[in-house]
Amino acid sequence: MDVTQQLADYAAATTTAVLDRPNPIITDAGLLAAFDNTPVDADEYGSNLNPHLLALTLTSTQALISSLFALPTKSTSSGPITLLPTPATLLPREKPLPKPKPLTKWERFAKEKGISHKKKEKHVWDEEKQEWVARWGKDGKNREKEGQWLHEVKAGEDADLDPASTARSDRKARIAKNQKQQAANIAAAANQSSTSTSASASSRGVSTLSQEQKKNLRERRKEELHRSMLLSKTATASLGKYDKAIENEPKVKGVKRKFEANVTPTSGKSEKENALDVLHRLETGVGKVKKSKKGGEGDEGGLNVRKAVRFQGKVDRVAGGGAGGKKGGKRK
Amino acid sequence: MSMLRTIKPKNARVKRALAAREPQVVENEKTAIFVRGQSTSEIVRNVMKDLYALKQPHAINFSRKNDIHPFEDTSSLEFFANKNDASLFVTGLHSKKRPHNLVFTRMFDGRVLDMMELGVEGFKSMGEFDSPKSSVGIRPLMVFHSDLFDTHPKYQLVKSFLLDFYNGHALSEIPLIGGLEHVISITAGPLPQTEGLDLENDKNLPKIHLRVYTVKLLASGSKIPKTQLTEMGPSIDFSLRRVQDADEEMLKMSMKRPKLAKSDVESGLGKKKKNIETDSMGDKVGKLHLDRQDLSKMQGRKMKGLKVRKVPAASDGEMQVDNDEE
Repeated sequence: MDVTQQLADYAAATTTAVLDRPNPIITDAGLLAAFDNTPVDADEYGSNLNPHLLALTLTSTQALISSLFALPTKSTSSGPITLLPTPATLLPREKPLPKPKPLTKWERFAKEKGISHKKKEKHVWDEEKQEWVARWGKDGKNREKEGQWLHEVKAGEDADLDPASTARSDRKARIAKNQKQQAANIAAAANQSSTSTSASASSRGVSTLSQEQKKNLRERRKEELHRSMLLSKTATASLGKYDKAIENEPKVKGVKRKFEANVTPTSGKSEKENALDVLHRLETGVGKVKKSKKGGEGDEGGLNVRKAVRFQGKVDRVAGGGAGGKKGGKRK
Repeated sequence: MSMLRTIKPKNARVKRALAAREPQVVENEKTAIFVRGQSTSEIVRNVMKDLYALKQPHAINFSRKNDIHPFEDTSSLEFFANKNDASLFVTGLHSKKRPHNLVFTRMFDGRVLDMMELGVEGFKSMGEFDSPKSSVGIRPLMVFHSDLFDTHPKYQLVKSFLLDFYNGHALSEIPLIGGLEHVISITAGPLPQTEGLDLENDKNLPKIHLRVYTVKLLASGSKIPKTQLTEMGPSIDFSLRRVQDADEEMLKMSMKRPKLAKSDVESGLGKKKKNIETDSMGDKVGKLHLDRQDLSKMQGRKMKGLKVRKVPAASDGEMQVDNDEE
């Protein structure tokens, strides 16, 4: 065979899209991928594998290339660039989607009130110097008072007041306050994320409650205190009317004294019966808080067996350890 | 995770580097780590070398042996993943039971998402092909042949794995002239023609053939060029072995897409909004369509003669009369 013929055959074999596919080849231009869903021909596959694979690849690559060349392009200095669409095939991400940054206390407040952020320029115009100076930092405008050689003393100020050092300490105090707030914001954000992601954090002994949870707890505790205060007032006959009032004590509402009727009502219990009732209650202890029964604590015995055993065990241990462990620790 | 100390950035450079490792909306390309198990064969090492060469520059090669058995214990893979900020692994192993074994592992959020095991049945390395090779860092085309990649769950995973491995990172643009150099072709063999075939059965699963060709685009006379392929290697025949599917919850998390940006939505991504677009300056431009103007109510030129008089003219007349009397 002629060499040119061989070359032509080779070129034909490596270039032409040789196969007809019953199912159209699906292309995903976003991922530069093509999927040929036609089952592989078993005979061809068995007899001549590599040429068949080449033919398959040619067919699908040609389909992919033609879909790529149909895409819109933009021209750049280094030639045309094809814009790819978003991929159709879903592949897993490497990391989860980023969580939104937690708002700071101020940001939360601003959002609530509808205050929009205004960016401060880093430099401000100095009228005296006639130039732009830094708002803060080296030679910052906020240190102007500290380097000033002349200070205005206002009426009523101490004679030994040093305005420069006062300005400096004021500035330092502002920085410290800001840092404290920043730390609180970071802590709040950490708390929020730890409670939302894992419940295991509580084992570390650090409070992991969020601000809202803490607030709820505080509210509940407050309510409890209020209720017990009201209850304690019922101890006096006047229902606390003549008690010494605490500062800012809320006025008690809806609690009223009850009096026995001056005249014995015709229906219902007589006065004698009422008195007997009271006596009966005193005798039997109705309404008293019952002692909870534990372990060996019985009504009749009066001996807490569990506690006794524990106590005895402790005594034994002290006696045994002292005798065995220490050399000179024995008592005479 | 626990083995790695948490780094508190002391300078801006470290801070930036750590921030780059945080979850991103648009992720950077996944890095693959190639690691050897305690015992490997020559074939497995060479296969890994070639797969590594194809994955460059987003690949890290570990040259030492590691006592790793991904299907038994994944802790060391998780450690490597967190340490290197990588999420793809190829572990090379060789044993009597599973000769010339490659375990592909995919990670999500520093934990193993899914795994698949391929055995090397036939291999011809890149060096054995006397042909030009593709340049480093060029994105390959990928083509998959066989219906199995669409129907069989194990082969679906293979497709997802290999696609993710070489082409997972979506590009927004590519130069077609000079930007396409090679194509990775993955073909699954036909199903054996035996009656009562159980697809779930691990035995007799068709082989997977990986071939890599360089692409040459020839002028065809039309806009779409003709393709010429030359095999550049490697040429690997895989048999599909064990597979570990992803945890459903984890997979769901990993498949979440970010919400589209406003400008993207307006420019037609996602649900298209009509008549709103963002111009190159970032300004929002809207197009309004108005109804036909009602000309009957239009105010024309005002003239005394055209004045519309009110109908009851009687009062005017009376006034006139009064004036006359005075």
